[in-house]
Amino acid sequence: MSAPLKFLIVDDSVTMRRIVANTLKNLQYNDFVEAGDGKEALAKLQADPSLNFVITDWNMPVMTGLELTKAIREDPKLAKLPILMVTTRGVKEDIVEALQAKVNNYVIKPFTPQILKEKIDQILANLQ
Amino acid sequence: MKQLTMNELFNKLNDLKTLFQFGQKIIPILQNLIDFMQDTIPLLENINRSIAESTSKIPKASNQISNVTSATELATTEILDLVDSISGKMYDMEAKIRTFIETENAKKEKLEKLKELVKDNPELSNFVQENFTLDVSVLEEILEFFPKLQNDAYSITLSLQVQDITSQQLAAVNHLIESVQENLTKLIEDFETTQLDELEGLAKNEVPEGATFDPNARYDKSGERQEAADEIINQVKDTGTQIDQSEIDKLFSK
Repeated sequence: MSAPLKFLIVDDSVTMRRIVANTLKNLQYNDFVEAGDGKEALAKLQADPSLNFVITDWNMPVMTGLELTKAIREDPKLAKLPILMVTTRGVKEDIVEALQAKVNNYVIKPFTPQILKEKIDQILANLQ
Repeated sequence: MKQLTMNELFNKLNDLKTLFQFGQKIIPILQNLIDFMQDTIPLLENINRSIAESTSKIPKASNQISNVTSATELATTEILDLVDSISGKMYDMEAKIRTFIETENAKKEKLEKLKELVKDNPELSNFVQENFTLDVSVLEEILEFFPKLQNDAYSITLSLQVQDITSQQLAAVNHLIESVQENLTKLIEDFETTQLDELEGLAKNEVPEGATFDPNARYDKSGERQEAADEIINQVKDTGTQIDQSEIDKLFSK
């Protein structure tokens, strides 16, 4: 990925969006926008082609992170976007379901900045 | 033939007699049972009233839980604002101290020149030596605290993930008590046609599709759950997109 990273942080919790944003800032990623649910996220992705990395929660109103992932993968213009799922859901069936929906990686809350960095780096490395 | 009919009649009368005798024995028992049921009705009505009362209080409890979630989210936002503000001020202080140290260090050269100029005058030299010393070592020591303080401030931010996790736990409890209300109300409806206004729109006992909470949310900082998730991800990478459930089960049974 040659373009500078512009993250879309999707979470219905204002607190979590802020914590993820602060963590990204600490990792020197300063370009990001936020969305409160999957539907809002999808609209932002369709409106702003410079968004090139999605960090999404799973449990959200209106449209869940899993539904968002499926919608992104079904949209030819967005299908290749890297998606990092950051969620409290640590049950094996959930992880399998998320992987089957083709998330690029999976982080369980509460996360550490090291884990978030590691997963972002892994995704970026795999994209190259 | 007629003899046989009379015998039959006597037999039937005997049966009837036995029935009456049995009836005489059972009547007190039935009477007791009726008395017991009559005594029980007020008790059942009390139970019904109590269930109805408890059920009607559930929406209030549910609202209170929602209010707790809103309050903690607001408080968390305030804490995040304060931490960000403190963090920003620390960056400013650190920058100002660094600028001050640089300025003081620049003065050192001039001071050395001054000492050189007055070295032949012992009195003046001593005066300069005693009154114009530049020591920024204390400030340099203070500077060393800043990264740790910034790190501590950031740790507070990270710990606030607990708010999101507990709010999901509370949402799960809310869902559970609403399900209890639904079941209790059904019980009351079976008992009598009590209607509760709060019944509308109640959720089922199972976690609904697209729920905005995870009933299994945990504030677990051990990293074990992430490790288990990573093993699954690696497993998928190794085998393409095919996921062998038994292999996943093995990973989680460790």
